[in-house]
Amino acid sequence: MKVKHLEIPLNKRLTSLSSWLADKHQRLGLITSIDGSQLITLVLDPQQGSAQLWESPLSGDEYPSLTPLIPQCHWYERAVWDLFGLYPNGHPRLKQLLLHEVYDPHFHPLRTIARLPEIVSATQRKYEFLKVEGEGVYEVPVGPIHAGIIEPGHFRLSCLGEEILNLEIRLGYLHRGIEKQLSKIPWQKARFLAEAASSDTAAANALAHAQAMESLVQIQAPPKAQYLRSLSLELERIAMHIADLGGMAVDIGYLGMASTLARLRGSALRLADLLTGTRFQRGFILPGGVHKDPDKQLSTIRHETHKLKVSLEPVITLFVENSSAQERMETIGRVSPSLARDFGLVGIAGRASGIAYDTRQHFPQGIFPTHAPPVAVETKGDVSARIKVRITELFNSLALIETLLEEIPAGSVLSCVPDKLPANSIGVGIVEAFRGELIHLVFTGADKAISRYAIKDPSFNNWTGLSIAVRGNLLADFPICNKSFSLSYSGHDL
Amino acid sequence: MSIILQWVSFWLSLLVLPLLLLGVIRKLKARLQNRIGAPITQPFLNFFKLMNKTETISETSSWLFRTTSVINLASVLLVAFLAPWLSYQPAIPGDDLFLVIYLLALVRFFTILSSLDTASPFGTFSSAREATLSLLVEPAMVLSLIALALSQHSTSLSKIFAFLPEISLASLPLWLLAGAGLFISSLCELSRMPIDDPTTHLELTMVHEAMIIENSGKNLALTELSYALRMAVLFGLCAQCFLHALCCIWHPNVLQQSLLSVVFLFLVGFATALVEATAVKLPWRTAPNFIAYGLTMSLLAAFVAIAQGSLK
Repeated sequence: MKVKHLEIPLNKRLTSLSSWLADKHQRLGLITSIDGSQLITLVLDPQQGSAQLWESPLSGDEYPSLTPLIPQCHWYERAVWDLFGLYPNGHPRLKQLLLHEVYDPHFHPLRTIARLPEIVSATQRKYEFLKVEGEGVYEVPVGPIHAGIIEPGHFRLSCLGEEILNLEIRLGYLHRGIEKQLSKIPWQKARFLAEAASSDTAAANALAHAQAMESLVQIQAPPKAQYLRSLSLELERIAMHIADLGGMAVDIGYLGMASTLARLRGSALRLADLLTGTRFQRGFILPGGVHKDPDKQLSTIRHETHKLKVSLEPVITLFVENSSAQERMETIGRVSPSLARDFGLVGIAGRASGIAYDTRQHFPQGIFPTHAPPVAVETKGDVSARIKVRITELFNSLALIETLLEEIPAGSVLSCVPDKLPANSIGVGIVEAFRGELIHLVFTGADKAISRYAIKDPSFNNWTGLSIAVRGNLLADFPICNKSFSLSYSGHDL
Repeated sequence: MSIILQWVSFWLSLLVLPLLLLGVIRKLKARLQNRIGAPITQPFLNFFKLMNKTETISETSSWLFRTTSVINLASVLLVAFLAPWLSYQPAIPGDDLFLVIYLLALVRFFTILSSLDTASPFGTFSSAREATLSLLVEPAMVLSLIALALSQHSTSLSKIFAFLPEISLASLPLWLLAGAGLFISSLCELSRMPIDDPTTHLELTMVHEAMIIENSGKNLALTELSYALRMAVLFGLCAQCFLHALCCIWHPNVLQQSLLSVVFLFLVGFATALVEATAVKLPWRTAPNFIAYGLTMSLLAAFVAIAQGSLK
């Protein structure tokens, strides 16, 4: 995918971005920097399937914050402050996002240009939670170590009785420096690290990496590889959607459903194993194509997919038609369509709130220009809407897999990839991971090596959505809201 | 049955049945979900494991936190001796219905105090939930026992639950309704589904498990033991109600009664497992509706008891 590279001066950023977002179909992709001497804003136009990259050169370490007028910038500006030491002037709730107190206050890992001396004191790694005061208000801290085998993240719930007044989410416990490492290791090996950005999204991350690198060196994967990649992506979606529905069943105490879905998720993972050789699809998709040709397995996969579909249908029907399960999920954790748009929610959370955005439709790559499944949209924005979107997508993906397996062409599965990267170029890969829009953005420097590798996981947009959703809900319903978003900590923290 | 044999069998039941019942319910739940599940002796193994573990005690807690598990176990033991949850249980003087009810309330009172004592936010909201629930459940539970007391003209539990030879078919609805009312309120009292989910790992949704979240080691072992005992007593009382309902139709001898009271106890456990494997946990706001079913059963039982009394 090609992006249009424009230079937008710093003082024009606000007007450009607000007029871009005035068209409600257009989106903000991500905000970052390359080395600390400029701001990069990726904006997307899903209607046209095009993207623009705005570069705004900086003269100092400060820039006017866009958050007060464009709220969805708030999370990006916090990340940019941490990673590059660029201070967003006027950000209403500026605090650390990724780097905790243990890091040196002057440490900005992705900044490669020398730091100007005057702003240093602005950076203090002291974290203060928003204080909610009043009679009877108390705080419940949850995490970062949770009572299950899940990733670390801290939730600070301010409650009045059973009602949640505010939820503040503190992340960054899994910051591993993946983006920095990706620009340091040889780019031929980068795929192993890129797909580890969020382990349950390995196929989507590998695909986004492959697309970004392919757009950089301007090659295409062979047709058969395109089919295999989509199979892999959709199998990941199926396995994770089943897992999330099962998690939902656990949280509402629907135990029989939970154990059945856990078993069926195992079947979906076994399909992935047949296709790629590993259940979580590591090392399969790579720039230029796929790692191996699973030709002999395809008939088994077709047979097993059909079996999975047949056994899923009655189970899901039972789940959907259980009136007490529905009662448990309806009207809870609502995100209104206007807030969802203001905060740029993507994927399941966005579509459940009426945002008909699916990158398979809007930025189609590989086989998707002809095969993209319909966008599953709901309008209510509650837990039950997110569950319904998952269920629709699950069956769409199963149908898509059956079509792909019938049509899959013969041929090679790997194109030849050049040895050298082009100098001063940009590559971008946009993939619909099972959680939503996943962006990999690659810049190369004059030395023909990767100078900056940026990843935007769908969770990066959606964590704010969770904060909005639980507001005014009962404390006892928080786990259900959290599960209905099913966000990644490692994908966010990188 | 001689009194010595009665005491020996009761002591054996007291030691074995509560934890066994817990193990059986967990096993049945697992089997109903197509899982193999932990062995039914797991609660015993857990008990001994916890007894050997070092305790972690919150620095902000006082003597209350440390003594609660002992007070609770003592109260529940007393309840187990007073309430006739097994038909072969030797009668003890002073087995008043209200004494038993308030001993159970005392257990709840101390559990709430100790969870507040740790100053953990989980303790705060879970004890608030427990207090709300108990406010709703207690009338249902008391009323179903009072209905039985009305029909027997006595508040002594051993007299209420005595196996009378002249028990007739006319008492069948009373025992069934009282048993159903008691079962539904026991599910709430014991923090089982659909009010509270004892298996999920999420403290935020829980009532009972969130209250004892700070307990560990011996303290936790005793807390779990008294929970199991409380469950056995309450389910045992339900079982006795249903057993009496059966006696309205068929008159078993003493040995058959004894065996059936154990069988019925496990049948109530099976019903619990069935509820837990198939039901969905209720939203917190609609929990009172479920308790209302229990209260309705108890009210009907009381109505039947009064009607029968006035007919005589």
